[in-house]
Amino acid sequence: MTDVLTDLADLSDPDSAATATATADHAHRISAPIHVSGPAGPWDEVAQGMALRGNAAVYTTWGEWLTAALAEPALRRLLGRDWLRYRQTTDATIRFRFVASRLAVKYTAAAALGTDPTDLDLAYKIGGRPYLRGFDQIDVSLTHTDDLIAVGISSTGRIGIDTEPAGRRLSFRLLQDQVCTAAEKAELGALPEAEQPAAMLRLWTLKEAYTKALGQGLRLGFSEFGFSNGSGGETGLLAPDGTPAATGEWAFGTYPVLDRFLVSVACHDTGLGSSRDTSASTMLDENFLTMVSGLLDQR
Amino acid sequence: MTMVTTEIHDTSAREAGTAEPLAPLRRAARLEAQLGDPYDPANPHGLGALFAADEQRHPPEATEQLLTEFGLSAEFVPAEFGGRLTRADHLAKVLRPVFRRDLALGFGYGITSLFATSAVWAAGTPAQRRFTADMMLGGGRASIVHHEMAHANDILRDEFTAGAAPGGGYELNGRKDVIINAARAQAYVVYARTDPARTPYSHSVLLVDPAETAGIGHLPRVPTTGMRGNLFSGLEFTDCAVPGSALVGRPGEGVALALRTYQVNRCVIASTAVAAVDTVLHSAVRAATTGRSRPLARRWHKPLAGVFADMLACDSMATVALRALSLLPDRTHVLAAAVKYVVPDLLREDLEELATVLGSRGYQRGTPEYGALDKLSRDLPVAGLGHAGTASCQAVIVPQLRTLAERAWFREEEPPAELFRTGASLPVLDYRLLGIADGGDFLAASLVESAARLAEVRGVGGQLAFLADLAEGFVGELRALRERCRAIPAHGSAASLMDPALCVLSDRYALVLAAASVLGTWEGQDGSDPFLAAPAWAVLALARLGGRLGIPVPDLPDGCMEQVLEELMRRYRSGRSCDLDATELAQ
Repeated sequence: MTDVLTDLADLSDPDSAATATATADHAHRISAPIHVSGPAGPWDEVAQGMALRGNAAVYTTWGEWLTAALAEPALRRLLGRDWLRYRQTTDATIRFRFVASRLAVKYTAAAALGTDPTDLDLAYKIGGRPYLRGFDQIDVSLTHTDDLIAVGISSTGRIGIDTEPAGRRLSFRLLQDQVCTAAEKAELGALPEAEQPAAMLRLWTLKEAYTKALGQGLRLGFSEFGFSNGSGGETGLLAPDGTPAATGEWAFGTYPVLDRFLVSVACHDTGLGSSRDTSASTMLDENFLTMVSGLLDQR
Repeated sequence: MTMVTTEIHDTSAREAGTAEPLAPLRRAARLEAQLGDPYDPANPHGLGALFAADEQRHPPEATEQLLTEFGLSAEFVPAEFGGRLTRADHLAKVLRPVFRRDLALGFGYGITSLFATSAVWAAGTPAQRRFTADMMLGGGRASIVHHEMAHANDILRDEFTAGAAPGGGYELNGRKDVIINAARAQAYVVYARTDPARTPYSHSVLLVDPAETAGIGHLPRVPTTGMRGNLFSGLEFTDCAVPGSALVGRPGEGVALALRTYQVNRCVIASTAVAAVDTVLHSAVRAATTGRSRPLARRWHKPLAGVFADMLACDSMATVALRALSLLPDRTHVLAAAVKYVVPDLLREDLEELATVLGSRGYQRGTPEYGALDKLSRDLPVAGLGHAGTASCQAVIVPQLRTLAERAWFREEEPPAELFRTGASLPVLDYRLLGIADGGDFLAASLVESAARLAEVRGVGGQLAFLADLAEGFVGELRALRERCRAIPAHGSAASLMDPALCVLSDRYALVLAAASVLGTWEGQDGSDPFLAAPAWAVLALARLGGRLGIPVPDLPDGCMEQVLEELMRRYRSGRSCDLDATELAQ
């Protein structure tokens, strides 16, 4: 289990540290990413995260899936409509990463839906957001960089996940106009120069995660919305002037992973108090189902 | 068509069995005018005032008063019982002025009363209809008290039980925390469990008059993330004696009545949600054009034209279904479920696409110009009831797939042309005629015939040829679905129907019906609207539906996106709605 770097939705009142500790686990709105090492999971922590917070995130490296992928007799069925793209990709690394990432999404979703991964159809919305066709009880997001693959799933609303190598140096000086809001520029500009690239990287992954949650990739300008520096404040999403942009529906978290990567997660809560039961086998109302099929049988 | 100038003609038209089309359109225009310019900060019914009420978490008092004076509740009462409801498609048109401004108000003031009372219109006794009609015509409200459904959220969780009372009648017990208008309704329509057994005859509908019932406990208001101004609160029934005359329909008919009446609700929700997104589309165009002398930035062409095309597709699907409720009331069941399955999901994606165009302007919460996105992003999930709402539609579609494949697809006849023709007169909506699980699919038949007609003109080339290819692609999808659905075991038990693969198929099928609606609507144009009669919007809408379905879609033909965008700009500049009606908006 990784440490939480920041969990913006969750910055407890510093004066009530005792209460915060006691309820820490419930207070976190985002489940910290957990490591899975292939089709065998382990998946129980995913189920736990879904039951407790309505979301879960896993990370893995594509090498861990390679043997299973190549030995999988049902690979074509597992990839579904992605099979063609897999076959047509000539670069071996891209090809293996592609297959591993699709399997990682399907296995993670299958763990939440209680289905066989081969039953699932991983499809893509207009903006490119992946989703599980027919199962809107969960939203999914996928990211990869180098050999790392990370998957986020949620039953409360949209989820976005993004990762970057922790050592990637993003120049504050060069990128601030593209990436930062005025409030962020002021905040980061006040940091010692040596700390700026790390702060920029954190912002970058958070912004990627949010735009991916909206399913819009890079179409949404990064300087159109912002985050606080994580050292104070209770809000997640901020308008360019630094004021809260939403009313608490969004939660964000950033986590170090495998000592080499940074993973950020953006999680929306529609506030419907949705069922924590995401199983595919219980989703169709038995009354409706039985009534309709009974009537058809009589016809 | 004859010009009808007074409401009195409504009665004669009703007696003739068809609904006169002009009076509701006039009422819609009147309501739009009364609600006034949404962007005027001094307008008490403007967006600024409505957003402020939402922020303060109370219903917008002045606007509710206006709706009462307008007599909006009468729109939910069938004309036969003294109200103004004649056709579901016309009801949606009257409601749109409200929904363009505030989806939550449309729910909180109004349509949830329609949802509640529909069981009474479908199966009530004359006395129950009289009571309900009088109550509604007097400006009252009814709350629907749902039974618990699979994967329930806060609104669908928990249910009441109704046991037989010793001296006759029922004894209601139980607690439910999130019921809209529970504290201010003059009637509760309760889907109560009357049988502990796991059968579809386990529930019955009871019409409860709170003024005449002892033992009703009111629970505190529940704050919600979406529809923040609406009054959700709980009810607790403790040994509540309800007379036998409260039973609506037969004992054990609750689930069947839910299935029958939800059809109307589903189509009305979809149609009115289109109106709500319309306002966000207008604000996105405003964001992309305000203070800009040069033409619209290229990067906004695709999202703006695409969302407009989606809205026309959603409106096509909702309108076809709403009209079918009048024309083919015993055959609309599966379509209504597909409408509710597809439309809210598409619209939610559209909001996200528009969020990119709005950028940081989208965070100008509370402003009439740009605040609609923030509010609707919170309200729309509540309108669709999220996953539980979707799953209840899938529960209707999934068990029909095999029968449709065996008996309906590629076999059934096309529906009457009036289904798609805007001006055509239709029979009056009669809740008693609504049927379920008929096993037919007139819209799939329409798709096949549309594609066949288009194939004949493919030689013309250009957008028409492209449209023909797209139509053929959806027919191919229907053919593939037929193969898959024929393989579903016959006489499946509930357990066998829970096969996850069937949910995948029902999703694909619902998108095919959306495409069929677009083609039918496009073909049904009489030419009075040159934009809708031209193929560009249908091409773009089908290309996007095809993309969602994962069927191959080549690059759009030249000029297609531009024509749709041009029309969007024209409507924005001239203050018209971005649905099939291009309604003049109050300015």
